[in-house]
Amino acid sequence: MIGYIILILIVATFLSLIVRRDILPIGAIIISFLFLVFLAAGSGIVLFEFGGWEAPFGIVWAADKLSMMIAMLVTGIASLVAVYSLRYIKERRHRYYSLLSLMTIGMLGVSLTGDIFNLYVFFEIFSISSYALVAFFLDDYAIEGAFKYLVAGSFATTMLLLGIALLYGSAGTLNMADLSSQILQTPMFLVPLALLITGFGLKVAMVPFHFWKPDAIEGTPSPIGAIFTAVSTSIGIYCILRVLFIFSLIELNTLLIVFGVVTMVVGAVMAFMQDNIKRLLAYSSISQIGYILLALGLGTYLGISGGLYQLLNNAIANALLFLSIGVVILYSGGRERLSNLSVKNNILMFCFGIGALSIIGIPPLAGFASKYMIYLAAWEVSPPIAAISIIVAAFTLAYYLKAFSCVFLNPRGRTEIKGIPLIMLIPIIILAALCIILGILPHLGLYVVEPAVQALTNSSGYVAAVLGGG
Amino acid sequence: MIAETYITIVALIVLGIYCLVWKSNLVKKIIGLGIFAKAVHLLLITIGFRPGGIPPIVTPQNLQTFASLSVDPLPQALVLTSIVIDLSITALALSIAILAYRHFRTLNTKNIRRMRG
Repeated sequence: MIGYIILILIVATFLSLIVRRDILPIGAIIISFLFLVFLAAGSGIVLFEFGGWEAPFGIVWAADKLSMMIAMLVTGIASLVAVYSLRYIKERRHRYYSLLSLMTIGMLGVSLTGDIFNLYVFFEIFSISSYALVAFFLDDYAIEGAFKYLVAGSFATTMLLLGIALLYGSAGTLNMADLSSQILQTPMFLVPLALLITGFGLKVAMVPFHFWKPDAIEGTPSPIGAIFTAVSTSIGIYCILRVLFIFSLIELNTLLIVFGVVTMVVGAVMAFMQDNIKRLLAYSSISQIGYILLALGLGTYLGISGGLYQLLNNAIANALLFLSIGVVILYSGGRERLSNLSVKNNILMFCFGIGALSIIGIPPLAGFASKYMIYLAAWEVSPPIAAISIIVAAFTLAYYLKAFSCVFLNPRGRTEIKGIPLIMLIPIIILAALCIILGILPHLGLYVVEPAVQALTNSSGYVAAVLGGG
Repeated sequence: MIAETYITIVALIVLGIYCLVWKSNLVKKIIGLGIFAKAVHLLLITIGFRPGGIPPIVTPQNLQTFASLSVDPLPQALVLTSIVIDLSITALALSIAILAYRHFRTLNTKNIRRMRG
């Protein structure tokens, strides 16, 4: 069944290039989101065998609850961004929409597939369309950012291919469930593991590999910035989790904790020094990825739930911030510097504030529950790490205060924004409402996250379901 | 024979990464990326190769001996897919390089504003 989602999206992508109707890709993305919600309500692991070939021999798509959660996040955010972009993108819109839907295809494929080479192929589809989207405006910043991202990203994906080649050479299979049942923890597998982690880490933009992200986000249209910070990082983290699961090394905690803490601190410090609002948000998202990596590295049940919950909240809040800042930049004539960007609009101020507070982790909002879980989990493992993560949260508060007061509270040279189209406001308000609802009723979020955590920790169930044939 | 191939692969990977990271010309970076990708393709093919193997095509004559003689066909399929991907990345990279040249009148990353590495 799930294979047909991709079919619908592919048809819509290429048809929209010919007939130039924006409704096709938008409709296809929204339909795939609704379809996934419907599918996720069922129980167990959804299997799809391409061409009817069974698990270790053919390409199999296996969607457990973790894949479902990521796929719903991808299509959900992508549909909001697609609706929002109707008024944001003024020219060459059919190309924009076909690239956006191609990017969604790639991310969806990565999250649903059960075959590691198939994962690589979809990763490339997602990467190539995102390079093109970064260059979409064709101005100086866009081209610089796109080339930098392209070089870093292609280096990463070639690393992935190298890792997959070595993995195939030593294990003789490409099916992830089969791989994980065959691999014994020998030092020989450390090389492909390191290559795969490097490749995905570059895409996640964890700290030694973060250099491309602020440039890429500075050049890209703001709605795509929302996709970058919210969704494509989630895809990278999902891939890291899957790889660690292949190697049954979910207890490979020290590495992730070190990467997480460094990423968190460096991202926050760099965000504080930025003058450009989009770069500030980019560094902020890098810093938040650090929290997720740290929480997943802790390896306890509380830590993993906190990490995945943070992934969800972070995606919602980052998308909200980028969509509302997109309106601000659009209406103030493309200015992005904090020093001369100043607007007056109460709805945008409220929504940006909600997003920022949720990222910082202030109590009545969504980010609080997940951050609190991460603090608790970190405290159990090592109190100094918990202290560092709380200090970084204070830093986050500081740079968001700076951004907020510069953009919305600065009385000098203020542009008043009036008459924002409803089609742009609706996605922003939906995301803000989600932030508030998940904050007041955190168990609603856990209702989605909990099965994903169970799917992640119960890896033998996945292997049995895939190899047993469905 | 196989050992020499592996040495060549390692040399090509090192050369490709060197070219990608340390050269400051955009086109040279793209060439480095290409060399790196081709080295990985060569590695995949070599992994599936066996000395004296036959092409992985089943005919009525070799039906009995096929499994014991043929080279592994899967890496060849993977490489075909990967070549297509590599081609599209190279095409996109070159078109962005052309745009960069039109905008900045240079291909040298050191002269393009803020563009380092």
